[in-house]
Amino acid sequence: MRRARAIAAAAVLVVCVGVIVAYQATRPAVAAPNPVVFVPSPSFYRNFSPSARASVADVYWLYAIQYYGEHLNSDRRLDSLPALIRLVTTLSPHFKEAYFFGSFSMLDVGRPDVAYALLQQGFKANPGDWRFPFYLGFFAYTFATGAHKDAVAAQWYEKAARLPGVPPFVSRLAAEMATKGNERQTAVDLWTQVYVQGDKYAQQKAVTALDALLPKDKIAREKAVAGLEASVPRAMFAQFVADLFKGYQ
Amino acid sequence: MRVVAVAVNTFRETIRDRILGVILLFALAMIVASLWLASISLGQEDRMIKDFGLLAISVFGLIVAAFVAANLVRKEVEKRTVFIIFSKPVSRSEFIWGKFLGLAATMLAVLAGMTVFLFALAWFVDKSPSGSLLVAGLLIYLQLLVVMAVTMLFATMTSAILASVWGICVYVAGQLSHNVLSMAHAGHAGSAHVMSALVFYVVPNLSAVDIRAAVVGEGAVARSSLLGWGVYLIAYLVVALLIATAIFRRKEF
Amino acid sequence: MNIADHRDSTFSVLEVRDLHKTVAVGFRRRKVEILKGVDLEVRDGDVFGLLGPNGAGKTTTLKVVLGLMRPTSGSVTLGVDGLAELGYLPENPYFYDYLTGSEFLRFCARLFSLGARERDARVSAILADVGLEGAAGVQLRKYSKGMLQRIGIAQALINEPRFVLLDEPMTGLDPIGRVEVKEIIQRLHERGTTVLFNSHILADVAALCTRIAIMRAGRVVWQGAVDEALAATPGADLEGFFMDVVRS
Repeated sequence: MRRARAIAAAAVLVVCVGVIVAYQATRPAVAAPNPVVFVPSPSFYRNFSPSARASVADVYWLYAIQYYGEHLNSDRRLDSLPALIRLVTTLSPHFKEAYFFGSFSMLDVGRPDVAYALLQQGFKANPGDWRFPFYLGFFAYTFATGAHKDAVAAQWYEKAARLPGVPPFVSRLAAEMATKGNERQTAVDLWTQVYVQGDKYAQQKAVTALDALLPKDKIAREKAVAGLEASVPRAMFAQFVADLFKGYQ
Repeated sequence: MRVVAVAVNTFRETIRDRILGVILLFALAMIVASLWLASISLGQEDRMIKDFGLLAISVFGLIVAAFVAANLVRKEVEKRTVFIIFSKPVSRSEFIWGKFLGLAATMLAVLAGMTVFLFALAWFVDKSPSGSLLVAGLLIYLQLLVVMAVTMLFATMTSAILASVWGICVYVAGQLSHNVLSMAHAGHAGSAHVMSALVFYVVPNLSAVDIRAAVVGEGAVARSSLLGWGVYLIAYLVVALLIATAIFRRKEF
Repeated sequence: MNIADHRDSTFSVLEVRDLHKTVAVGFRRRKVEILKGVDLEVRDGDVFGLLGPNGAGKTTTLKVVLGLMRPTSGSVTLGVDGLAELGYLPENPYFYDYLTGSEFLRFCARLFSLGARERDARVSAILADVGLEGAAGVQLRKYSKGMLQRIGIAQALINEPRFVLLDEPMTGLDPIGRVEVKEIIQRLHERGTTVLFNSHILADVAALCTRIAIMRAGRVVWQGAVDEALAATPGADLEGFFMDVVRS
């Protein structure tokens, strides 16, 4: 009698576990994404302590990354991303990577103006970080229109060059802007630094841009890339080359 | 040294309690889970591990502080072990202080374990040690000592569960202390100003130093403000325990 | 020299005079008078039985004597040097689950500020006395009811008290346990320790006690030597005497 009950209990257990596994296995792999999501206003959190605001910023940071990855691979609509990034950076003004990621992700939706404004906000909160004026110069040079864009870019690079910890190439860029040197070469230099400094999404964009700027001929491309070796850290150079020569024999 | 005897006894009893072990395990699991969060953070592993790791330590430390501290006094009364204690030449204040010190020692062991674990994890991920994490762990410990003292105070007056809830409420209210200060200075008339000022002084100021914000880079903390805050917290918990002792002296069993 | 030889039966170890105790119960804090003028005297060397139906006020009286409760009025005079010379076993005692027997007794000994060497010696001796040497290293949560009662008696005797109060020491024990506790009480009496205990088991009271008091509804209604009580009832039956007193 006891044995029969034990067998019955085990059978029920197996059936229930089977139901659980089967149900979960049949869930859709990717939920249908809604590009418009609710993002609370930063003022909602103004009464939280700075520690709590930083933690909330981190949660929304993770959410923003998931949101970006989800929509980039599907409908390519990032309607709520500016609000998410604004929330993260308002709650955690020194979270610099959020500004950089946010600004480059705006390029995916053709909004370099939003990216520019975000970087300006970031530079205001972090005036000692050379990367902000550097990227501001990059965005001004690459995406701005009008006669004064080079001058504006040059001003940003000069500001960057005066900040502590700035690499030497920034001064060179500032000089290039000022002398209106080879524009193509300047663009290559800029995108190379985006590759070096940026996260994986920025690197993808840099590779796409460099692919368009560099010579298509393999030998010419090799020569051009060799000229960039001094600008790329040794540990990254092999991957840099591999990315630029994808599809080449 | 009857205070020490009660403290050692309390430490032994609480550190061997399996509930504590379960809580510690969950806390360590949460810290490790922050590794997973870190992996989806686009290169912000260091920040995520530190922030969520310290959050886990605060949350689980708060659970231990509120629930174990409340039970410490209530359980003795309900199970009547107080009859055995107070039939010996032990004063009520020796009992309360001994209980507190014993639990403080337990909390130190638990928090130190979690903080060192987090420190090692962050070192492993970031490839460099972060001394600020150890300082943060110490400051969280001081905050929780205050919560323990307040919870024990409530436990002398009410049931264990209510004392725990009050302890958690005081922790949350303590995190909003800076808002109360703003309200007190906001120029409201009469009773609102008085109430705000009263709340500001009565509720412990647990947000005077932003521990986690400093660790993740949102501002630095001056050493002098750390020292001042530490002295304030110790004074606060002494007051809470003195009041608890006065109430406990009047209790009959 | 047996300390029992120095018992002074005229010396009171405990004197309770006109003790009143009122408590507030319930949501409306209704006043209930539990003790309505208790008069009690326990002499040096007595084995004193405090008897009475449930709710008579026996445990409350003990609690007031120990200072666990404050009297509303009346006086309690202890002829010993306060709690340092007292031992107490509460009814249905509960101990610390995760301490071992010896850890618990060492803790109790420390509360009397005994030195380390003296502590160790006392703990070993008392564990042997109550027959728990083998279980000294076992956590209390694994003790049986009888073992818990014995460790309870051990903690009551750790300071070699002059006056021991035992609240229902035989409750819940099997016959062997009851015999063991009775033997402990007899040994205490032989050593000259004054013992006061509550019990509902009148046969044990008759066998062990020298004097008894019977309480009813918050008062002591009879107090005197056991022999006196037995002589007053036909058949020398304490139970019969008790019922007569309580019902009268």
